[in-house]
Amino acid sequence: MLELVDLQIVRQQQPLIAPITASVAAGQILALMGPSGVGKSSLLAYLSGTLTPELEGRGKAVLNGNSLAHLPPEQRHLGLLQQHPLLFPHMTVAENLLFAMPKGGSNQQRYHTAQQHLQDIGLQGLEARLPEQLSGGQQARLALMRTLVAKPAALLLDEPFSKLDKTLRQDMRQLVKDAIEQAHIPAILVTHDEEDAQELASKIIQLQAI
Amino acid sequence: MYSSFNRTLYYLILGVIGLPLLTGLLGVVLPSFGYDPALGQVSFHLGHWQQLLQQPEFWSGLRLSLSTGVLATLLSYWFASSLIMVCFEKPWFTRLQSAITPILSIPHASITIGALFLLAPSGWLVRLISPWLSGFERPPNWITVQDPEGVALIIALVIKEMPYLMFAMGAALSQLQPQQTLQAARLLGYERLTAWHFTLLPQLFPLLRLPIFMVLAFNMTVVDVASIIGPNTPSTLAVTLLRWFNDPNLVLRGQASAAALVLASMVAVSILCWLLFYRLLNQLRHHFSTLGTRQSWLRYWTWFGASAAGLTLLMTLLSLLLLPIWAFTKRWRFPDAWPNRWTLDNLNRAGDRLISLTAESFSLAIASAFIGLLMALVLIEFERAKGRSRISVALLFSAVLLPQVTLLFGIQVGLLYFDWSGTWLSVLAVHVLYTLPYIYLTLKAPYLAFEQGYLEQANRLRFTPIRNYLTIKLALLKAPLAAALAIGFAVSMAQYLPTLLAGEGRINTLTTEAVARASSGDRKLVSVLAFAQAILPLICFMLATLIPRYWTRWRLAFRRSLCSN
Repeated sequence: MLELVDLQIVRQQQPLIAPITASVAAGQILALMGPSGVGKSSLLAYLSGTLTPELEGRGKAVLNGNSLAHLPPEQRHLGLLQQHPLLFPHMTVAENLLFAMPKGGSNQQRYHTAQQHLQDIGLQGLEARLPEQLSGGQQARLALMRTLVAKPAALLLDEPFSKLDKTLRQDMRQLVKDAIEQAHIPAILVTHDEEDAQELASKIIQLQAI
Repeated sequence: MYSSFNRTLYYLILGVIGLPLLTGLLGVVLPSFGYDPALGQVSFHLGHWQQLLQQPEFWSGLRLSLSTGVLATLLSYWFASSLIMVCFEKPWFTRLQSAITPILSIPHASITIGALFLLAPSGWLVRLISPWLSGFERPPNWITVQDPEGVALIIALVIKEMPYLMFAMGAALSQLQPQQTLQAARLLGYERLTAWHFTLLPQLFPLLRLPIFMVLAFNMTVVDVASIIGPNTPSTLAVTLLRWFNDPNLVLRGQASAAALVLASMVAVSILCWLLFYRLLNQLRHHFSTLGTRQSWLRYWTWFGASAAGLTLLMTLLSLLLLPIWAFTKRWRFPDAWPNRWTLDNLNRAGDRLISLTAESFSLAIASAFIGLLMALVLIEFERAKGRSRISVALLFSAVLLPQVTLLFGIQVGLLYFDWSGTWLSVLAVHVLYTLPYIYLTLKAPYLAFEQGYLEQANRLRFTPIRNYLTIKLALLKAPLAAALAIGFAVSMAQYLPTLLAGEGRINTLTTEAVARASSGDRKLVSVLAFAQAILPLICFMLATLIPRYWTRWRLAFRRSLCSN
């Protein structure tokens, strides 16, 4: 369960959006919609603890009973998926997954698990490739899988499909939806695409600029 | 537009760089095997090598060059990268970066002289803690500079090279996506510094190869810094072989040439070892970064390095501050923390000599910066049109990476052969050999990034290609052009060995004079020289940042004032 209370982004004491209050249950997706430049991405950056210093976030976010305020990003247990897949270019496909997997298990077991995850997203046999050798759709799937194997307690989706073409979009939507239900975690989707929101979200909030 | 004239000019410039390199190499290789027509020796033999290997000074010098050069490079890299990792993403990070940039323009010799006056037993550090803490009423009997193991030399090298590596890393970072990469790793649960070590540093290193090699080659072969603050019985190999080279006993020349070749091979081998070492380190890092450990002990290592980097920067600052302090000191007795009387007498005492030395330094620096800039423009413009630059890059990098002692011995042999040695023009030519590579490297990226569309559009509107090139392209590139000029100026100001060897002691600059007098004991006079040597490139650097920024505003204001009259 992820609860947002009076969440707001402020620039030089000027609020950018009307405060948001909502709660998202595990397995559900909340969509935040609005025109570009309204501060949607900044909201997710505030939630994940990576807001730029020029902006200030206000309000409270509680994940499974724990307040996220003042925690460094690495202790928030949030997964973030952006339109840029941000796969580490110097690591192979398998290494990108291994990097994200929690500690534990022998090297062989870990590698085996990584291989299975790759099979789930149709990337079997590409373990030793570098990310730049993958197609756009493959990169997007790998980025999603990398976020999931870290076992986040909630997922933040920042326009994750906007760089994909129409058919790929459809596939990725389904993949994301299934993954969130299976992982049974709350998710917040930020988008300006009506279709994304209609198909995925159980609840939609229109952001209003002030 | 790219006529055969341009092609000829291009290859002419390559020849102008290549010929001295070739002469330089031949001029050490041949004499080391006994062939030296200037001395009347025309038979090949291995006598000089046998002689060299029997010199205990050679072996101890070799060991010192290797240990001080490698250690200074490793420490500079460790400190610089640690400080960047710790301070990156802090709101004042950009201010820190712009604060260290001016240090790059200050010649090594000036900073080293400052460091000498800071670290010496009677230096500022001891004065600051005496007598209240240390109890010293007179300088202690310690060896804190010119120590036999070269610790002071390592410190002097680190306080100058660390800021340079920080600058290089800052520039390399801007080619990556540092913030996003760190965020991605941290959101996967990685502690900040661990995230740095696993994700950003491995991407950064390939971009840093050349700067690190330059630092490594420099540290192992530097003469001026080592002769000011390094050990002297025995000295580093570079200093020892310069002494042999200048020995009245001409037989030592062959031995010096052989040693110069050893020095160059040592640099090459060290670069290879560094690459192997890094490959090994990278393997380890790949292994550890796939285990899923979210917090690595590497972060303590980084914190330690960053603290040391902070101390290093403080020492750089103190060393530089000492120069104007000593330059304007009248009386500064030992345990006092501060001079008790100030004066302008030191400037007066230096007087005419100071003016002539400054004029010599300034004219060489200005001329070699402008010539270097023109040559770099021709090279880069031709390569932009042709899309390849292998030969010029290889030639320019060899000029930078080959030890100055090695190359300049050979060049001097060539200059003597043609009887050009000791002339202002030959000194200028050797300066250009060193200003050109740095100007080329600074200018290349911004020049190639220029949106060629502006120029093409201008030529469609009014076909005056040369005029448009000047008033559109170069005018838009005035900031990088000014920066490149300032760097060329600073490089020339810093040259010690080229002036000394090509000038045969007949051409004296602030640098040669300051280095020659560094250990004379006349701190006030030496500081005047070193301060002048430091302040000129600093002023040039400031002008290079200010003028392009306000140029258009000034031009328009000038126009308006003309119209209103």
